Amino acid sequence: MTVLARLKNLAARSPWLYRINAGSCNGCDVELATTALIPRYDVERLGIQYCGSPRHADIVLITGPLTKHVLEAAKRIYAEIPDPKVTVAVGVCPISGGIYRESYAVCAPIDQYFPVDVNIPGCPPRPPAIIEGVAKALEIWRQRL
Amino acid sequence: MNFLSLFARNLRRGPYTEPFPFGPPSPTPKRLRGRIAFDAATCEGCLLCEKLCPSGAIKFTRTPEGMTFDCWHPTCVFCGTCEFYCPTKAIHQTNDWHLAHFQSEKFGMTEHGLIPNLVCADCGGKGLNTVPNTAKVRPPLSAEEVVQLRARCPKCRNKFLKSRGKKP
Repeated sequence: MTVLARLKNLAARSPWLYRINAGSCNGCDVELATTALIPRYDVERLGIQYCGSPRHADIVLITGPLTKHVLEAAKRIYAEIPDPKVTVAVGVCPISGGIYRESYAVCAPIDQYFPVDVNIPGCPPRPPAIIEGVAKALEIWRQRL
Repeated sequence: MNFLSLFARNLRRGPYTEPFPFGPPSPTPKRLRGRIAFDAATCEGCLLCEKLCPSGAIKFTRTPEGMTFDCWHPTCVFCGTCEFYCPTKAIHQTNDWHLAHFQSEKFGMTEHGLIPNLVCADCGGKGLNTVPNTAKVRPPLSAEEVVQLRARCPKCRNKFLKSRGKKP
C-alpha cells in the first residue's frame, strides 16, 4: 500500500497541460502562452508542461465560449484525453459566456458539456491567476490519481 | 547595455521568476481592474451600472429589506464601465485578482450589497436609504441639508428641494 502511495505521489508530480481553444478571442490563449513561456511566470516550476497531443494530457484548459461551430470538435478532442483528467475553464467565456452570454452562436457555459473542476475568471485572467487556478487543479488531480 | 553589465545585474538580482504560488505574489499594479467592490452606504440607487454592464453581471433586486446589489464575477468582464459611470463611486474595482475557484464555489463568487429601506422623516412613507442626487442643485447643499434630505422618501426629497429653491 505504501509503495502504491509512493508511486502515486511520484506520478502526480508532472501532469501535462493541454489547451482547447473553443472559439476564444485569443486573449486567454495569449495569457496561457505567457504563463508557460516567459521566465517571469514559469508554469514549469510546478512540474507542468504543455503538450501537443490530447492523448498525452492530464489537465485540460478550455478557453472561449464554445461556439456552435467547434462544439463537436471540442467534444471529440475532450473524449480523446485519457482519464483521470482535470478540466479547467480559463476566462469568463467558458464559465458563463461572459460578454457572449445568451448568444445564439454560443454554447456557454461549458459545464453543460464537460465536467469542469476549476474556474479561472478574468477577461483575460492574469498569468498569476492562471497559475493559482492550475495549482488548484493540481490538488484535484492528486486526489483523482 | 553591453553583455557584461547585464551579466553583473543578473548576478546581483537573481532569478526574475515570481515566487508565486510558492511565495507571496509580486506587488499588483494599483490600477489593475480586478474584483468589484460595492459600498451600499454611498450608492445613489440610479441603476446606471446595471443598465451599462455589457455582460449583464450586475443585478439589482427589490426585496422586503430594501434593494440588493449583486455582481457575479464569473460573468463580469472587468471593463470598468460601472466604476467610470458611477456618480458617487459606490462601485469600484479593486486590484484583487485572486478569483480562481473550484466549480462548487462558482455561484458564490458574487459581490453582495444591501441598500436598506427607510421610513420617511416627513410623511412616514417607504423609501430607500440612498445618497441623494445633489450634483445639479444650486446653490450647493450643506452637509447638514444632505443628511436631512437623505432621511426622506423620493417625493419628500423633491418637495424639500423645491421649498429650498423658493427661499430668497
